Amino acid sequence: MAYAAGRVNGDRAGSLLAVRGVTKRFLGLVAVSDVSFTVARGEIVGIIGPNGSGKTTLLSVIAGMVPPSDGAVLWKGEAIHRLRPDVIAARGLVKTFQNPQVFAELSVFDNVLVASHLALKHARGGHRALTLVGIDGRAGRGLAERVRELLALCELTRAADQPAGNLSYGEEKMLGLAMALMCEPELLLLDEPASGLGHEEVDRLTAVLRRLHDTGTTLCIVDHKVGFLRGLAARVIALNYGRKVAEGRPDEVLNDPAVVEAYLGRAHA
Amino acid sequence: MLTIFIYTFLSGILAVTFDLIFGFTGQLSMFHPAVFGLSAYVTHLLVLHARLPFWLATLPAAAAAVALAIVVGSICFKFRLKTFYFAVVTLAFAEMLRLIIVNWNSVTNGTLGLVVSGKPTIWWPGTGLVAIRGPVAWYYLTLAALGATVLICARVLASWMGRAFGAIRLNEDLARTLGINVFRYKLVSFAIGNALASFAGGLYGYYTGYIDPGYLSINQSMEVLAMVLLGGQGTLTGPVVGSFVLTALPHVIDLRAEARAILYGAILIFTILVMPRGVVGTLRAWRMRRAA
Repeated sequence: MAYAAGRVNGDRAGSLLAVRGVTKRFLGLVAVSDVSFTVARGEIVGIIGPNGSGKTTLLSVIAGMVPPSDGAVLWKGEAIHRLRPDVIAARGLVKTFQNPQVFAELSVFDNVLVASHLALKHARGGHRALTLVGIDGRAGRGLAERVRELLALCELTRAADQPAGNLSYGEEKMLGLAMALMCEPELLLLDEPASGLGHEEVDRLTAVLRRLHDTGTTLCIVDHKVGFLRGLAARVIALNYGRKVAEGRPDEVLNDPAVVEAYLGRAHA
Repeated sequence: MLTIFIYTFLSGILAVTFDLIFGFTGQLSMFHPAVFGLSAYVTHLLVLHARLPFWLATLPAAAAAVALAIVVGSICFKFRLKTFYFAVVTLAFAEMLRLIIVNWNSVTNGTLGLVVSGKPTIWWPGTGLVAIRGPVAWYYLTLAALGATVLICARVLASWMGRAFGAIRLNEDLARTLGINVFRYKLVSFAIGNALASFAGGLYGYYTGYIDPGYLSINQSMEVLAMVLLGGQGTLTGPVVGSFVLTALPHVIDLRAEARAILYGAILIFTILVMPRGVVGTLRAWRMRRAA
Protein backbone atom coordinates (compact mmCIF):
# COMPACT_ATOMS: atom_id res chain seq x y z
CA MET A 1 0.00 0.00 0.00
CA ALA A 2 1.13 3.49 -0.71
CA TYR A 3 1.49 4.62 2.88
CA ALA A 4 3.94 1.89 3.66
CA ALA A 5 6.47 2.90 1.08
CA GLY A 6 9.38 1.68 3.20
CA ARG A 7 12.45 1.74 1.05
CA VAL A 8 14.36 -1.50 1.00
CA ASN A 9 17.94 -0.27 0.71
CA GLY A 10 20.29 -0.54 3.67
CA ASP A 11 21.19 -3.73 5.48
CA ARG A 12 18.22 -5.93 6.00
CA ALA A 13 19.81 -8.26 8.45
CA GLY A 14 21.48 -5.63 10.65
CA SER A 15 19.69 -3.35 13.03
CA LEU A 16 17.85 -0.34 11.69
CA LEU A 17 18.45 1.72 14.79
CA ALA A 18 21.18 1.27 17.36
CA VAL A 19 21.29 3.36 20.52
CA ARG A 20 24.74 3.09 22.12
CA GLY A 21 25.37 4.29 25.65
CA VAL A 22 23.19 7.39 25.31
CA THR A 23 23.29 9.75 28.27
CA LYS A 24 21.44 13.05 28.53
CA ARG A 25 22.12 15.49 31.33
CA PHE A 26 20.18 18.71 31.85
CA LEU A 27 22.39 20.85 34.12
CA GLY A 28 22.66 18.60 37.15
CA LEU A 29 19.82 16.25 36.29
CA VAL A 30 20.59 13.00 34.53
CA ALA A 31 17.47 12.28 32.46
CA VAL A 32 18.87 9.35 30.49
CA SER A 33 21.84 7.35 31.68
CA ASP A 34 23.91 5.04 29.50
CA VAL A 35 21.01 3.45 27.62
CA SER A 36 21.76 1.00 24.80
CA PHE A 37 19.38 -1.01 22.65
CA THR A 38 18.72 -1.85 19.01
CA VAL A 39 15.65 -2.02 16.80
CA ALA A 40 15.68 -4.41 13.86
CA ARG A 41 13.69 -3.85 10.69
CA GLY A 42 10.11 -5.03 11.00
CA GLU A 43 10.06 -5.11 14.80
CA ILE A 44 7.66 -3.51 17.23
CA VAL A 45 9.66 -2.44 20.26
CA GLY A 46 8.00 -1.02 23.34
CA ILE A 47 9.67 1.26 25.87
CA ILE A 48 7.99 1.39 29.26
CA GLY A 49 8.75 3.13 32.50
CA PRO A 50 7.02 5.28 35.10
CA ASN A 51 6.63 9.04 34.67
CA GLY A 52 9.96 10.82 34.71
CA SER A 53 11.94 7.72 33.82
CA GLY A 54 13.47 9.40 30.75
CA LYS A 55 11.34 7.85 28.00
CA THR A 56 10.41 11.08 26.25
CA THR A 57 13.94 12.47 26.55
CA LEU A 58 15.33 9.30 25.01
CA LEU A 59 12.98 9.61 22.02
CA SER A 60 13.87 13.28 21.64
CA VAL A 61 17.56 12.37 21.50
CA ILE A 62 16.92 9.69 18.88
CA ALA A 63 14.87 12.06 16.73
CA GLY A 64 17.51 14.78 16.94
CA MET A 65 15.43 17.25 18.94
CA VAL A 66 18.11 17.39 21.65
CA PRO A 67 21.74 16.29 21.33
CA PRO A 68 22.95 13.54 23.67
CA SER A 69 25.51 14.47 26.32
CA ASP A 70 27.24 11.19 25.68
CA GLY A 71 26.86 8.10 23.51
CA ALA A 72 25.74 7.64 19.93
CA VAL A 73 22.62 6.97 17.86
CA LEU A 74 23.22 4.93 14.72
CA TRP A 75 20.75 4.72 11.85
CA LYS A 76 21.61 1.88 9.46
CA GLY A 77 25.09 1.96 10.91
CA GLU A 78 25.57 5.69 10.47
CA ALA A 79 25.82 8.17 13.36
CA ILE A 80 22.87 10.58 13.30
CA HIS A 81 22.95 12.15 16.75
CA ARG A 82 24.53 15.37 15.48
CA LEU A 83 22.05 15.82 12.62
CA ARG A 84 19.07 18.20 12.54
CA PRO A 85 15.60 16.74 13.11
CA ASP A 86 14.47 17.49 9.57
CA VAL A 87 17.48 15.64 8.15
CA ILE A 88 16.80 12.66 10.40
CA ALA A 89 13.15 12.68 9.34
CA ALA A 90 14.26 12.76 5.71
CA ARG A 91 16.26 9.57 6.30
CA GLY A 92 13.11 7.76 7.39
CA LEU A 93 13.09 8.15 11.19
CA VAL A 94 10.00 10.09 12.22
CA LYS A 95 8.64 10.89 15.69
CA THR A 96 5.20 11.81 16.94
CA PHE A 97 4.64 14.04 19.96
CA GLN A 98 3.28 13.07 23.34
CA ASN A 99 1.13 16.20 23.47
CA PRO A 100 -0.38 16.28 20.02
CA GLN A 101 1.15 19.00 17.86
CA VAL A 102 -0.94 20.22 14.95
CA PHE A 103 -1.16 23.33 12.79
CA ALA A 104 -4.31 24.53 14.52
CA GLU A 105 -5.34 27.11 11.91
CA LEU A 106 -5.05 24.78 8.95
CA SER A 107 -7.67 22.24 7.99
CA VAL A 108 -7.06 18.61 8.90
CA PHE A 109 -6.46 17.86 5.23
CA ASP A 110 -3.89 20.65 4.90
CA ASN A 111 -2.13 19.50 8.04
CA VAL A 112 -1.37 16.18 6.42
CA LEU A 113 -0.57 17.85 3.11
CA VAL A 114 2.08 20.01 4.81
CA ALA A 115 3.64 16.81 6.05
CA SER A 116 4.06 15.60 2.47
CA HIS A 117 7.23 17.58 2.04
CA LEU A 118 9.39 14.50 2.38
CA ALA A 119 7.07 12.31 0.37
CA LEU A 120 7.47 14.86 -2.38
CA LYS A 121 11.22 14.47 -2.19
CA HIS A 122 10.99 10.70 -2.46
CA ALA A 123 8.25 10.70 -5.05
CA ARG A 124 9.77 12.76 -7.80
CA GLY A 125 13.40 13.74 -7.46
CA GLY A 126 13.68 15.69 -10.71
CA HIS A 127 10.32 17.38 -10.49
CA ARG A 128 10.79 18.45 -6.93
CA ALA A 129 12.10 21.95 -7.60
CA LEU A 130 9.33 22.63 -10.08
CA THR A 131 6.71 21.32 -7.71
CA LEU A 132 8.12 23.38 -4.86
CA VAL A 133 7.52 26.61 -6.74
CA GLY A 134 4.17 25.37 -8.01
CA ILE A 135 4.96 24.98 -11.71
CA ASP A 136 4.53 21.20 -11.82
CA GLY A 137 1.27 20.13 -10.27
CA ARG A 138 1.39 16.41 -11.03
CA ALA A 139 3.23 15.29 -7.91
CA GLY A 140 0.84 17.39 -5.86
CA ARG A 141 -2.24 15.59 -7.16
CA GLY A 142 -0.78 12.20 -6.35
CA LEU A 143 -0.01 13.35 -2.85
CA ALA A 144 -3.53 14.68 -2.29
CA GLU A 145 -4.75 11.17 -3.01
CA ARG A 146 -2.36 9.80 -0.39
CA VAL A 147 -3.56 12.34 2.14
CA ARG A 148 -7.09 11.01 1.66
CA GLU A 149 -5.89 7.44 2.14
CA LEU A 150 -4.15 8.32 5.37
CA LEU A 151 -7.13 10.26 6.69
CA ALA A 152 -9.29 7.24 6.00
CA LEU A 153 -6.81 4.97 7.77
CA CYS A 154 -6.81 7.22 10.84
CA GLU A 155 -10.59 7.64 10.63
CA LEU A 156 -10.41 11.39 10.13
CA THR A 157 -12.14 11.60 6.76
CA ARG A 158 -15.24 13.25 8.23
CA ALA A 159 -13.14 15.99 9.84
CA ALA A 160 -10.99 16.64 6.75
CA ASP A 161 -12.24 20.18 6.12
CA GLN A 162 -12.37 21.30 9.73
CA PRO A 163 -9.61 23.38 11.27
CA ALA A 164 -7.32 21.06 13.23
CA GLY A 165 -7.85 23.25 16.28
CA ASN A 166 -11.44 21.97 16.53
CA LEU A 167 -10.45 18.33 16.96
CA SER A 168 -10.76 16.38 20.19
CA TYR A 169 -7.60 15.30 21.99
CA GLY A 170 -7.84 11.77 20.63
CA GLU A 171 -8.45 13.01 17.09
CA GLU A 172 -5.48 15.35 17.36
CA LYS A 173 -3.33 12.38 18.28
CA MET A 174 -4.59 10.45 15.27
CA LEU A 175 -3.87 13.49 13.10
CA GLY A 176 -0.33 13.57 14.50
CA LEU A 177 0.00 9.94 13.46
CA ALA A 178 -1.37 10.64 9.97
CA MET A 179 1.13 13.48 9.54
CA ALA A 180 4.01 11.28 10.65
CA LEU A 181 2.88 8.59 8.21
CA MET A 182 2.82 11.09 5.37
CA CYS A 183 6.58 11.39 5.88
CA GLU A 184 6.88 7.72 4.83
CA PRO A 185 8.83 6.59 7.89
CA GLU A 186 10.80 3.36 7.92
CA LEU A 187 10.86 3.59 11.68
CA LEU A 188 8.11 5.43 13.48
CA LEU A 189 8.81 6.62 17.02
CA LEU A 190 5.58 7.06 18.96
CA ASP A 191 5.66 9.04 22.18
CA GLU A 192 2.80 7.84 24.41
CA PRO A 193 0.32 7.44 21.55
CA ALA A 194 -2.33 5.95 23.87
CA SER A 195 -2.14 8.45 26.72
CA GLY A 196 -5.32 10.44 27.16
CA LEU A 197 -7.28 8.19 24.81
CA GLY A 198 -10.51 6.40 25.66
CA HIS A 199 -10.97 2.64 25.38
CA GLU A 200 -12.39 2.70 21.86
CA GLU A 201 -9.73 5.10 20.69
CA VAL A 202 -6.98 2.86 22.04
CA ASP A 203 -8.50 -0.10 20.16
CA ARG A 204 -8.63 1.92 16.97
CA LEU A 205 -5.04 3.04 17.47
CA THR A 206 -3.92 -0.53 18.06
CA ALA A 207 -5.61 -1.62 14.84
CA VAL A 208 -3.94 1.17 12.86
CA LEU A 209 -0.51 0.37 14.29
CA ARG A 210 -0.99 -3.33 13.49
CA ARG A 211 -1.84 -2.50 9.91
CA LEU A 212 1.21 -0.27 9.64
CA HIS A 213 3.39 -3.02 10.95
CA ASP A 214 1.86 -5.50 8.52
CA THR A 215 2.74 -3.20 5.65
CA GLY A 216 6.39 -2.97 6.65
CA THR A 217 6.81 -0.05 9.04
CA THR A 218 9.04 -0.64 12.05
CA LEU A 219 7.62 0.78 15.26
CA CYS A 220 9.17 1.95 18.50
CA ILE A 221 6.47 2.84 21.00
CA VAL A 222 6.94 4.61 24.32
CA ASP A 223 4.02 4.25 26.69
CA HIS A 224 3.26 3.54 30.28
CA LYS A 225 0.00 1.81 29.45
CA VAL A 226 1.41 -1.65 29.95
CA GLY A 227 -1.66 -3.45 28.65
CA PHE A 228 -1.61 -1.54 25.38
CA LEU A 229 2.04 -2.40 24.77
CA ARG A 230 1.69 -6.02 25.84
CA GLY A 231 -0.73 -6.57 22.98
CA LEU A 232 1.54 -5.00 20.36
CA ALA A 233 5.23 -5.22 21.11
CA ALA A 234 7.29 -8.35 20.67
CA ARG A 235 10.07 -6.90 22.77
CA VAL A 236 9.92 -4.42 25.64
CA ILE A 237 12.58 -2.25 27.21
CA ALA A 238 11.97 -0.91 30.71
CA LEU A 239 13.47 2.34 31.96
CA ASN A 240 13.64 3.66 35.49
CA TYR A 241 15.43 6.82 36.62
CA GLY A 242 16.92 7.10 33.13
CA ARG A 243 18.52 3.64 33.20
CA LYS A 244 17.54 0.51 31.33
CA VAL A 245 16.44 -1.96 34.00
CA ALA A 246 15.07 -4.79 31.86
CA GLU A 247 14.66 -5.96 28.27
CA GLY A 248 12.92 -8.95 26.75
CA ARG A 249 9.53 -10.41 25.90
CA PRO A 250 6.66 -8.36 27.39
CA ASP A 251 5.69 -11.01 29.97
CA GLU A 252 9.25 -11.48 31.13
CA VAL A 253 9.84 -7.77 31.50
CA LEU A 254 6.55 -7.07 33.22
CA ASN A 255 7.32 -9.76 35.82
CA ASP A 256 10.89 -8.61 36.29
CA PRO A 257 11.37 -7.57 39.93
CA ALA A 258 13.13 -4.34 38.95
CA VAL A 259 10.17 -3.36 36.76
CA VAL A 260 7.57 -4.27 39.34
CA GLU A 261 9.48 -2.23 41.87
CA ALA A 262 9.68 0.74 39.52
CA TYR A 263 5.93 0.72 38.97
CA LEU A 264 4.57 -0.35 42.32
CA GLY A 265 7.31 0.37 44.83
CA ARG A 266 9.70 -1.89 46.70
CA ALA A 267 7.14 -3.68 48.86
CA HIS A 268 5.63 -5.54 45.89
CA ALA A 269 8.89 -6.72 44.38
CA MET B 1 -5.33 62.52 -6.16
CA LEU B 2 -3.22 60.29 -8.40
CA THR B 3 -0.27 61.04 -6.13
CA ILE B 4 -2.03 59.32 -3.26
CA PHE B 5 -2.47 56.22 -5.37
CA ILE B 6 1.13 56.27 -6.54
CA TYR B 7 2.36 56.45 -2.96
CA THR B 8 -0.16 53.78 -1.98
CA PHE B 9 1.13 51.45 -4.67
CA LEU B 10 4.77 52.05 -3.81
CA SER B 11 4.34 51.53 -0.08
CA GLY B 12 1.93 48.71 -0.94
CA ILE B 13 4.82 46.80 -2.53
CA LEU B 14 6.79 47.31 0.65
CA ALA B 15 3.89 46.21 2.84
CA VAL B 16 3.01 43.12 0.77
CA THR B 17 6.60 41.88 0.69
CA PHE B 18 6.95 42.61 4.41
CA ASP B 19 3.84 40.55 5.02
CA LEU B 20 5.36 37.63 3.11
CA ILE B 21 8.07 37.54 5.78
CA PHE B 22 5.97 38.62 8.77
CA GLY B 23 2.37 37.57 8.21
CA PHE B 24 3.01 34.38 6.26
CA THR B 25 6.34 33.09 7.57
CA GLY B 26 6.02 34.59 11.05
CA GLN B 27 9.30 36.50 11.18
CA LEU B 28 9.06 40.10 12.38
CA SER B 29 11.74 41.69 10.20
CA MET B 30 12.84 45.27 10.82
CA PHE B 31 15.21 45.06 7.91
CA HIS B 32 12.70 45.97 5.23
CA PRO B 33 13.26 49.75 5.00
CA ALA B 34 17.01 49.19 4.99
CA VAL B 35 16.75 47.17 1.80
CA PHE B 36 14.25 49.65 0.40
CA GLY B 37 16.50 52.65 1.09
CA LEU B 38 19.70 50.92 0.08
CA SER B 39 18.20 49.89 -3.25
CA ALA B 40 17.11 53.45 -3.89
CA TYR B 41 20.75 54.50 -3.46
CA VAL B 42 22.27 51.60 -5.38
CA THR B 43 19.89 51.99 -8.31
CA HIS B 44 20.48 55.71 -8.58
CA LEU B 45 24.25 55.49 -8.14
CA LEU B 46 24.50 52.81 -10.80
CA VAL B 47 22.53 54.95 -13.23
CA LEU B 48 24.65 57.97 -12.36
CA HIS B 49 28.12 56.43 -12.35
CA ALA B 50 27.88 53.26 -14.40
CA ARG B 51 25.48 54.85 -16.88
CA LEU B 52 23.18 51.87 -16.72
CA PRO B 53 19.59 52.30 -17.82
CA PHE B 54 17.22 52.42 -14.80
CA TRP B 55 15.73 48.95 -15.29
CA LEU B 56 19.13 47.32 -15.65
CA ALA B 57 20.29 49.11 -12.51
CA THR B 58 17.47 47.64 -10.43
CA LEU B 59 18.89 44.15 -10.96
CA PRO B 60 22.22 44.61 -9.16
CA ALA B 61 20.23 46.42 -6.47
CA ALA B 62 17.99 43.38 -6.09
CA ALA B 63 21.03 41.11 -6.10
CA ALA B 64 22.55 43.22 -3.32
CA ALA B 65 19.26 42.93 -1.40
CA VAL B 66 19.31 39.14 -1.73
CA ALA B 67 22.97 38.96 -0.68
CA LEU B 68 22.28 41.11 2.37
CA ALA B 69 19.18 39.11 3.21
CA ILE B 70 21.19 35.90 3.08
CA VAL B 71 23.91 37.29 5.35
CA VAL B 72 21.55 38.87 7.90
CA GLY B 73 19.04 36.02 7.68
CA SER B 74 21.69 33.32 8.07
CA ILE B 75 23.01 34.95 11.21
CA CYS B 76 19.55 35.39 12.74
CA PHE B 77 18.11 32.03 11.73
CA LYS B 78 21.26 30.06 12.64
CA PHE B 79 20.89 31.35 16.18
CA ARG B 80 17.16 30.64 16.03
CA LEU B 81 16.21 34.18 17.00
CA LYS B 82 12.48 34.30 17.54
CA THR B 83 10.00 37.17 17.13
CA PHE B 84 11.27 39.91 19.41
CA TYR B 85 14.95 38.97 19.24
CA PHE B 86 14.79 38.65 15.47
CA ALA B 87 13.18 42.10 15.27
CA VAL B 88 15.86 43.68 17.44
CA VAL B 89 18.77 42.11 15.58
CA THR B 90 17.37 42.96 12.14
CA LEU B 91 16.77 46.50 13.39
CA ALA B 92 20.41 46.70 14.47
CA PHE B 93 21.53 45.62 11.01
CA ALA B 94 19.21 48.19 9.44
CA GLU B 95 20.64 50.93 11.65
CA MET B 96 24.13 49.83 10.73
CA LEU B 97 23.35 50.30 7.05
CA ARG B 98 21.71 53.65 7.71
CA LEU B 99 24.77 54.91 9.61
CA ILE B 100 27.07 53.77 6.83
CA ILE B 101 24.98 55.75 4.34
CA VAL B 102 24.82 58.80 6.60
CA ASN B 103 28.59 58.84 7.07
CA TRP B 104 29.75 57.89 3.60
CA ASN B 105 29.57 61.50 2.43
CA SER B 106 31.63 61.20 -0.74
CA VAL B 107 29.18 58.73 -2.25
CA THR B 108 25.86 59.33 -0.56
CA ASN B 109 26.10 63.03 0.30
CA GLY B 110 25.30 62.12 3.91
CA THR B 111 22.18 63.44 5.56
CA LEU B 112 21.59 65.93 2.74
CA GLY B 113 20.70 63.09 0.41
CA LEU B 114 20.82 62.93 -3.36
CA VAL B 115 18.71 64.55 -6.03
CA VAL B 116 17.56 62.11 -8.67
CA SER B 117 17.04 63.96 -11.92
CA GLY B 118 16.45 61.19 -14.45
CA LYS B 119 13.30 59.21 -15.10
CA PRO B 120 12.98 55.56 -16.03
CA THR B 121 12.13 54.88 -19.64
CA ILE B 122 10.03 52.18 -21.19
CA TRP B 123 9.73 50.98 -24.73
CA TRP B 124 6.36 51.83 -26.16
CA PRO B 125 5.19 50.37 -29.48
CA GLY B 126 5.27 53.00 -32.19
CA THR B 127 7.09 55.72 -30.31
CA GLY B 128 10.11 53.75 -29.04
CA LEU B 129 11.73 54.64 -25.72
CA VAL B 130 9.75 57.14 -23.67
CA ALA B 131 10.58 58.56 -20.27
CA ILE B 132 7.97 58.08 -17.58
CA ARG B 133 6.88 61.53 -16.54
CA GLY B 134 3.77 62.91 -15.00
CA PRO B 135 1.32 61.34 -12.59
CA VAL B 136 -0.66 59.31 -15.11
CA ALA B 137 2.35 57.41 -16.40
CA TRP B 138 3.62 56.88 -12.87
CA TYR B 139 0.19 55.73 -11.76
CA TYR B 140 0.18 52.92 -14.30
CA LEU B 141 3.82 52.03 -13.77
CA THR B 142 3.49 51.71 -9.99
CA LEU B 143 0.16 49.93 -10.32
CA ALA B 144 1.78 47.40 -12.63
CA ALA B 145 4.70 47.01 -10.22
CA LEU B 146 2.37 46.38 -7.30
CA GLY B 147 0.31 43.98 -9.40
CA ALA B 148 3.42 42.04 -10.36
CA THR B 149 4.55 41.91 -6.73
CA VAL B 150 1.19 40.62 -5.51
CA LEU B 151 1.13 38.03 -8.30
CA ILE B 152 4.61 36.78 -7.50
CA CYS B 153 3.82 36.58 -3.79
CA ALA B 154 0.52 34.80 -4.47
CA ARG B 155 2.33 32.31 -6.69
CA VAL B 156 4.99 31.65 -4.04
CA LEU B 157 2.40 31.26 -1.29
CA ALA B 158 0.23 28.88 -3.30
CA SER B 159 3.21 26.61 -3.88
CA TRP B 160 4.64 23.92 -1.63
CA MET B 161 7.20 26.44 -0.53
CA GLY B 162 4.39 28.71 0.65
CA ARG B 163 2.91 25.83 2.61
CA ALA B 164 6.25 25.34 4.30
CA PHE B 165 6.30 29.05 5.21
CA GLY B 166 2.90 28.65 6.88
CA ALA B 167 4.01 25.53 8.71
CA ILE B 168 7.00 27.40 10.12
CA ARG B 169 4.80 30.27 11.27
CA LEU B 170 2.27 28.00 12.95
CA ASN B 171 4.54 25.45 14.63
CA GLU B 172 8.23 25.50 13.96
CA ASP B 173 9.10 22.42 16.01
CA LEU B 174 6.42 20.33 14.33
CA ALA B 175 7.55 21.54 10.91
CA ARG B 176 11.06 20.39 11.77
CA THR B 177 10.01 16.88 12.76
CA LEU B 178 8.04 16.61 9.52
CA GLY B 179 11.26 17.07 7.60
CA ILE B 180 10.88 20.72 6.64
CA ASN B 181 14.22 22.53 6.55
CA VAL B 182 13.14 25.47 8.69
CA PHE B 183 16.38 27.40 8.27
CA ARG B 184 16.31 27.20 4.49
CA TYR B 185 12.68 28.19 4.05
CA LYS B 186 12.96 31.11 6.45
CA LEU B 187 15.93 32.31 4.45
CA VAL B 188 14.10 31.87 1.14
CA SER B 189 11.12 33.84 2.41
CA PHE B 190 13.39 36.58 3.75
CA ALA B 191 15.34 36.77 0.48
CA ILE B 192 12.25 36.88 -1.75
CA GLY B 193 10.63 39.56 0.40
CA ASN B 194 13.74 41.71 0.41
CA ALA B 195 14.42 41.26 -3.30
CA LEU B 196 10.92 42.43 -4.22
CA ALA B 197 11.10 45.32 -1.75
CA SER B 198 14.28 46.51 -3.43
CA PHE B 199 12.35 47.32 -6.63
CA ALA B 200 10.05 49.54 -4.63
CA GLY B 201 13.12 51.40 -3.35
CA GLY B 202 14.47 52.04 -6.84
CA LEU B 203 11.10 53.26 -8.10
CA TYR B 204 10.49 55.42 -5.04
CA GLY B 205 13.73 57.32 -5.47
CA TYR B 206 12.98 58.00 -9.11
CA TYR B 207 9.41 59.02 -8.44
CA THR B 208 10.15 61.51 -5.67
CA GLY B 209 13.39 62.65 -7.31
CA TYR B 210 15.12 62.61 -3.96
CA ILE B 211 16.83 60.06 -1.71
CA ASP B 212 17.96 60.55 1.87
CA PRO B 213 18.99 58.25 4.74
CA GLY B 214 15.55 58.69 6.30
CA TYR B 215 14.38 55.99 3.89
CA LEU B 216 16.20 53.48 6.06
CA SER B 217 14.90 54.72 9.40
CA ILE B 218 12.94 52.83 12.02
CA ASN B 219 9.96 55.12 11.31
CA GLN B 220 9.64 53.45 7.93
CA SER B 221 9.63 50.07 9.65
CA MET B 222 6.87 51.17 11.96
CA GLU B 223 4.86 52.57 9.07
CA VAL B 224 5.07 49.31 7.13
CA LEU B 225 4.20 47.32 10.23
CA ALA B 226 1.22 49.60 10.87
CA MET B 227 -0.01 49.11 7.29
CA VAL B 228 0.16 45.34 7.57
CA LEU B 229 -1.45 45.16 11.01
CA LEU B 230 -4.20 47.56 9.99
CA GLY B 231 -4.96 45.83 6.69
CA GLY B 232 -4.56 42.29 7.94
CA GLN B 233 -1.43 40.22 8.40
CA GLY B 234 -1.22 36.96 6.56
CA THR B 235 -3.27 38.30 3.64
CA LEU B 236 -2.16 39.84 0.36
CA THR B 237 -4.92 42.40 0.02
CA GLY B 238 -4.62 43.54 3.64
CA PRO B 239 -1.26 45.28 3.28
CA VAL B 240 -2.52 47.13 0.19
CA VAL B 241 -5.64 48.29 2.05
CA GLY B 242 -3.52 49.34 5.03
CA SER B 243 -1.13 51.15 2.76
CA PHE B 244 -3.99 53.02 1.11
CA VAL B 245 -5.57 54.07 4.41
CA LEU B 246 -2.34 55.25 5.97
CA THR B 247 -1.21 57.03 2.80
CA ALA B 248 -4.52 58.72 2.11
CA LEU B 249 -5.35 59.74 5.68
CA PRO B 250 -2.66 62.40 6.10
CA HIS B 251 -3.68 63.88 2.76
CA VAL B 252 -7.34 63.97 3.63
CA ILE B 253 -6.74 65.33 7.11
CA ASP B 254 -3.89 67.78 6.80
CA LEU B 255 -1.53 66.95 9.63
CA ARG B 256 1.92 67.88 10.81
CA ALA B 257 4.55 65.18 11.20
CA GLU B 258 4.15 64.93 14.98
CA ALA B 259 0.39 64.64 14.76
CA ARG B 260 0.81 62.03 12.05
CA ALA B 261 3.02 59.93 14.30
CA ILE B 262 0.38 60.13 17.02
CA LEU B 263 -2.31 59.11 14.55
CA TYR B 264 -0.24 56.12 13.41
CA GLY B 265 0.29 55.09 17.00
CA ALA B 266 -3.40 55.44 17.83
CA ILE B 267 -4.48 53.42 14.78
CA LEU B 268 -1.95 50.72 15.57
CA ILE B 269 -3.12 50.39 19.17
CA PHE B 270 -6.77 50.45 18.15
CA THR B 271 -6.27 47.76 15.51
CA ILE B 272 -4.34 45.44 17.79
CA LEU B 273 -6.94 45.76 20.53
CA VAL B 274 -10.13 45.65 18.47
CA MET B 275 -9.24 43.88 15.22
CA PRO B 276 -6.16 41.76 15.75
CA ARG B 277 -6.67 40.29 12.31
CA GLY B 278 -6.82 43.66 10.59
CA VAL B 279 -9.50 45.02 8.26
CA VAL B 280 -9.27 42.28 5.64
CA GLY B 281 -8.84 39.49 8.19
CA THR B 282 -11.87 40.65 10.16
CA LEU B 283 -14.00 41.01 7.04
CA ARG B 284 -12.99 37.56 5.90
CA ALA B 285 -13.86 35.99 9.26
CA TRP B 286 -17.19 37.82 9.27
CA ARG B 287 -18.02 36.60 5.77
CA MET B 288 -17.10 33.03 6.65
CA ARG B 289 -19.32 33.15 9.71
CA ARG B 290 -22.22 34.41 7.59
CA ALA B 291 -21.65 31.66 5.05
CA ALA B 292 -21.58 28.99 7.74
